Parts: sequence; C-alpha cells; structure tokens
Amino acid sequence: MNVQRIRLIVQFISFVVLTYGGLFYIDMGNRMPTFSCAFVDDNGGSCFLVGFQHMLARPFSEFWGDAGIRLLKVLGVVSLWAIVLNKAWCGWICPFGFVQDLLTKLRNLISIDMSRFAWMTRTRYKSVKYILLALLILIPLGIGNAMLGMPKLSRDWSAPFCQMCPARVLMPILNGDFSEIYIDFSSGPGMFLTTAAIVLSGLFFTTAFVKRRFLCSYCPMLALLSLFDKIGFTTLRKDGQRCTRCGNCSRACPMEIREIEEEKTMSNLVTQDCILCMRCVDVCPEDEALQIRFLNMPVYTATEKGFLQRQSGSSKEQVESEITKHD
Amino acid sequence: MTEQTKKLTKRERLANKVKVNLAMSVREIMDQINDQGNRPENMAYFDRIFETFEHGGEGTVQPRKGEKIIGTYCLFVPEELIYATGARPVRLCSGAYESVEIGEDYLPEGACPMVKSEIGFSALPVLSFFHQCEMLVMPASCDWKVKMAEILSEFAPVHMMDMPRVKEEESSRAFWLEEVKRFIKRLEKVTGVRITRRRLKQSIQMIQRAQVEFHRFHRIRKATPPVITGRDALEVMNAYFYDHVEDWTAAVSKLNDELEERIRNQVQVARVGAARIMLTGSPMVFPNWKVPTIIEEMDGVLVADEFCTSNRYLNDMVAVDEGTMSDMVHAIADRYLLPSTCPIFSNSVDRKDRLLQLIDDYQVEGVIYHILKGCHPYDVETKIIEKLMEGKGVPMLKIETDYSPQDVEQLRTRIEAFQETLKGRRG
Ligand code: SF4
Ligand code: SF4
Repeated sequence: MNVQRIRLIVQFISFVVLTYGGLFYIDMGNRMPTFSCAFVDDNGGSCFLVGFQHMLARPFSEFWGDAGIRLLKVLGVVSLWAIVLNKAWCGWICPFGFVQDLLTKLRNLISIDMSRFAWMTRTRYKSVKYILLALLILIPLGIGNAMLGMPKLSRDWSAPFCQMCPARVLMPILNGDFSEIYIDFSSGPGMFLTTAAIVLSGLFFTTAFVKRRFLCSYCPMLALLSLFDKIGFTTLRKDGQRCTRCGNCSRACPMEIREIEEEKTMSNLVTQDCILCMRCVDVCPEDEALQIRFLNMPVYTATEKGFLQRQSGSSKEQVESEITKHD
Repeated sequence: MTEQTKKLTKRERLANKVKVNLAMSVREIMDQINDQGNRPENMAYFDRIFETFEHGGEGTVQPRKGEKIIGTYCLFVPEELIYATGARPVRLCSGAYESVEIGEDYLPEGACPMVKSEIGFSALPVLSFFHQCEMLVMPASCDWKVKMAEILSEFAPVHMMDMPRVKEEESSRAFWLEEVKRFIKRLEKVTGVRITRRRLKQSIQMIQRAQVEFHRFHRIRKATPPVITGRDALEVMNAYFYDHVEDWTAAVSKLNDELEERIRNQVQVARVGAARIMLTGSPMVFPNWKVPTIIEEMDGVLVADEFCTSNRYLNDMVAVDEGTMSDMVHAIADRYLLPSTCPIFSNSVDRKDRLLQLIDDYQVEGVIYHILKGCHPYDVETKIIEKLMEGKGVPMLKIETDYSPQDVEQLRTRIEAFQETLKGRRG
C-alpha cells in the first residue's frame, strides 16, 4: 500500500481523536508536543505549550520547590513523546499540519502551481522558529523575574505564544467555536499578539494555495522537536553511494529541504525542518538510497520497483518479474 | 550548368562510395555478432534495425503516420517533450568510421571521430534518416558540439540548448529550466502541436514504461553467469536511438521474458571463468563495436557499461510530484540535468559513485576506460577515475582509440593481457 495513503489515514485518525476525542471521553493528557490546541473544547489530548508557559511565569526562586518538580515532569513527558515519535508528530499526528495538507490537496485538485523559496530566503528564515522558541520561554520568565536589567513584564504577556498562535484562532472553529477570532484591545501586548494571530491565520489560508506547509517552517514546536533529531527512535538513512543526486527528494519535499538531496556523507538525514512525511522515500528511484528506520529496524525503503510502480502506472506484475521478484 | 551537375555527381559518387564501404563493414560486424552463438531469439528484432545500415538506412527509423522526426545529439534532449508533440526523437550520435573523413572537411583533425562521423552523414546522403529531420537539437555539452551546431545549420534547422556546467547551483538549475521551456516553445512551433498537460503526462508514462523494461533488463544482466553478452546489451540500448519507444518497450519486454527463461534453464553465453569487464568512457555507438568485440572474443564478458549511449541513457527517470504542468516540466528538467554522470560537469562525485555502485552490483573484476581521440571531457577525468579504481582495488585499463580499424591488433594484445591479469588475480 502507498505510504502517503497510510499517512493520510493516520493523520485523519489523529485529527479526529485530538479534535473530537473529548466527546468520547478520550484524554491523552495535555502534555503533547503537537498543535492540538488546548482551546479546542472537545480535544482528546492537547498541546503542552499553554501550561508550560504559565508554569514558567514565576520567580526563579520558586523553581527550587514544587513548581520546579512539576516543570521537570512536564519536560520529562514531552521529551519522552519527542524521543519515541520524534518528527512523526509533525508529519503524521499534528492536526494543524493535517489541515494544511488537506488544503494542499485542494490546491492540487484545482491545479494551482506551487512556488518555491529562493535558496537564500529559505536558509535565512530557518532561525525564526528557534527565536520563537526562545521567546516563548524567555517572555514568561520575564513575567516572574526582572531580567537583563529590565523590569518585570506585565501579565498581559502571559502565554505569549498562544496569544499569537493561529491554531488557537482556527482549530476551535472545528468544534463550532468561533469565539477565538478576536483582537484583544485591552492592552498593548495583547493587541500586538492577537493581531499577529489573526494575520497568521489569514496567511494560513492564503499561503496554502502557494506553498506546502508554509507555517511549519516557523513553528517553535518543530524547533523543539528538532532538538531530538539525533536521538529520536525514527531515523532517515541515506546511502551516499547509491544516491544519484537526482533531486527528486528535495523537489517533492514539502519543507523544501535541500540536504536530503545534497548530502552524501551524513547518514541520518532527519534535519531540523524534516517532518518525517517520507515523501522523499516515495520518489527516490534508487534501491536502498533512502530508508526510514524505527529503532534501527527498516520500515520503509526506497526501491526502483516501488518507484516505477508508483510513477509509471504499470502494475506490480509488470514491474516485478518472476525471477527477479525476490532479489 | 555543367559546373553544377559535375559538382552534384561528385558528391553523389562520394556518397555511394561511403554507402558501399559502410555496408561492407556493417555486414562484417553483423557476422561477428551472429558468430557469438547461443544468442537469444528475440535479438532478431534489434538486428533488423542495424541491418538497415547496409541499405542506406532505409527503414532504420519507421515513422508512424504523420510523425515528424526530430534529430537529437547527446542524451540531454528531453525526449518526453518530443513525444508529447507527436513527433519522434531520433538520436543521431554516430559510430561509423566511413563518414569520418567527410567530417574532416568541416572540423579539425583533432576533433573526436563521433562528431566528424555525424557531420559526414549530414553532409552526404548516405543514411536517409539523417536527412528526414525536421529539426536538429544540439545541447551545448562538449566544445565540439557547440561548434557543430553552427556547421550543421547549413543542412537543417538547429536548435541549441545551452547547458550549465555546475549543476549543483540554484542559478544553473533555473537556467536549465529556462532552456527546457525555450525548447518547448520551439518544438511547439516546429510541430504545430501544443504540449498539454494530458499529452505530457502520457509521454512521461510512455517513457517510464520503457524504463520499467530497461531496469528489468539490467536486473537480468546482474545474473551470474550472464545470460546475454555485452554486445547484445549494447545493441538493445542502441536500438532505442531509432525505434519508437513503444515498439522498443514491447521488444525488450519479450527479450526479458526470454532471458528470464534462460536464467531458469541456466543457459549461459560466456565461458565460466571469463573475466567480468565493465566498459566506461566515451560513448560507443554501432557500428563502432571494435572494443566490445575484442573483449568478448578474448575470453572476457562485458557485464556492465557506463555509457551515455547505453546504461546511462534510460537509467534516470522523471518523477512527477504534484502533476501540474509546471511540476512536470520541472521534473523533466531535473531528470536530464541533476543525476547526469556526464564528465562535462564540474563535479565528478556522481560519476564516481555510480561507477562504484555498478562495480558492486555487477561483480566487476576489471574496468576498461575508453577514450575516443579528441574526446576531451572523458580524457580529463581519466586520472580521477584511475585513482578511484586504485582505491577500490579494481584494475583499470585505459585505451585511447578512434573509429579506424588500424589499431585492432594492438588493442587485442593489450586487452588480452589485461584480462589474463584479471583472471590471475583470482588466486
Ligand atoms: S531521490 Fe534518492 S537518489 Fe535522488 S537525490 Fe534523493 S536520495 Fe538521492
Ligand atoms: S526530508 Fe523527507 S521526510 Fe523530511 S520533510 Fe522532506 S520529504 Fe518529508
């Protein structure tokens, strides 16, 4: 079976469970490293960021007590999730990512061409997600502490990332809740952050008709998960000698990752922007040039036959033949 | 007026002489091919194509109804696009010695025999399909080709495709994509057919189906002991130059079925213990069968090759992603540029890895590096490949030759000695 179809099914199931699971009493906790927004009332498990940001908003001294232990617990759970599933959170589970993939399908259906970033632009904006990640930690800390010679920040900055997150605006709509579409005029920071959220929500729709997974490149959750790239259970292997650098992989990659094509020596190619969607493996025509492994066990391997079957419309029988079937 | 007729008859007389000479050497080579013994029955289909060289190329290319012929040089010309306009690509790279001398009227002596031979056939009415082309497409791959375009424009309209030499860079890729788009425009004008999304998709899949058989064929070639000789394999690939892709696919499919039967019945074509050779370097086109014939007559077996006229020709495939028009065009542009192992590109990494992989896959014992005199790109890479083979522990023999039969004896001695050493190494 086609891996992209399996992925779509898995994405659909996680979408339903995470967005409507609450209706069926499913609760997978609120410490998930994925954009299953906590503001979605019927969620069956939610993003850890809202709680995490609130926990950080206290004086440093308090971290030596219960608060610190609670924080460590959250980080422990999140790390565990991140190590076991690493980037599969983005490519296979994230409901917000799923909606973007659906919009891409819609774009393909009405055959609108996609555009690509210039290489320089793509590289330059890579750091944005890390900056956002740093800010979503530093700003809450700044609420509880006077840092860097600045006075404490006002409470209006609390959970700053959630205030500006487009998933908070958009995802509750799927539960019939339109109340998150607002701009908070009560304070400067609130107005700034909630306006950003509205703008990003607009971009979410418009960019879907120009690019694939546009917002993911700037997602701080991707930045966080990328810290586990090297120790995650799922790896993306490349055999440099077998790779012809045909560029199929990077052309099909929704994240416009170039290393996947260029690299010939690095063996694990789960790079910082990779969402483990495995599209690159689909389009790789060289036997065993790319391979997805889980705990070092091969789960999906690029093959010439598989490639030809997917691409040429030939049947399995035509592509395989009796004698060479088992080689 | 007399001046005119005299000139014409002189040209015709010359053409006839070349025709007769070509027919003779083609006959000789066809005999050598048939001498191989134990050949697959389905090779007859391919033999027929090359036998037409004895008769002025009548029937070498059999255009379907209304099909215009577009002549191509090099494998950088996207054939998907030509088929999408309902025209037929015919690759004109030539291996005939007989027309080389004519080509020398147009190019310096130091030029490689292939371009000389090609110009010779364009200048004189020897092989008919050279003169049936609506347009010639010339990628600016090597320096000879760049100038050849200008020379050939005397005989037929030529479309130049400019080529980047540093294929890794963003700018080169964008440049090549533009060249491909410019080619589309020109093709549409020449053929009067617009390339639609549906037509392009169909022609991409048509070639992909040929590649299904191509890759099946090459998996079969990995069988030990081999069930098909290297010369027959070269012939199958060379036939793709002239045949309609669909007919070729059907013929190779039949051949593949037969070869698989052979694996099952353990039919062999080479003596057990023959040296397993890989050929690489400057392209080798029928009837330039000099080197492979010597290899296989001297108790070697040509198990693999890395030629743009053979193994490299169909190896890389177009990968359609989203399937929109621009996506397909992009995929086509990438397919011809990025994975190419042609030495005209600045970086030899891809070629090196490809050679190593072929050695592993086909259990190659020795490499023969073939340079056509005057073929600079392959010549330049010799040292790099020599070092690579040294590191891999695979002996390599470099031979520099042209299309003339003069050095056959000398080559025979060298190749025999090389193959003996290979066998001696087995211990
Ligand atoms: S698709 Fe496969 S062969 Fe092509 S560049 Fe990517 S890894 Fe290499
Ligand atoms: S590198 Fe491969 S798995 Fe990662 S995002 Fe790109 S296509 Fe998906």
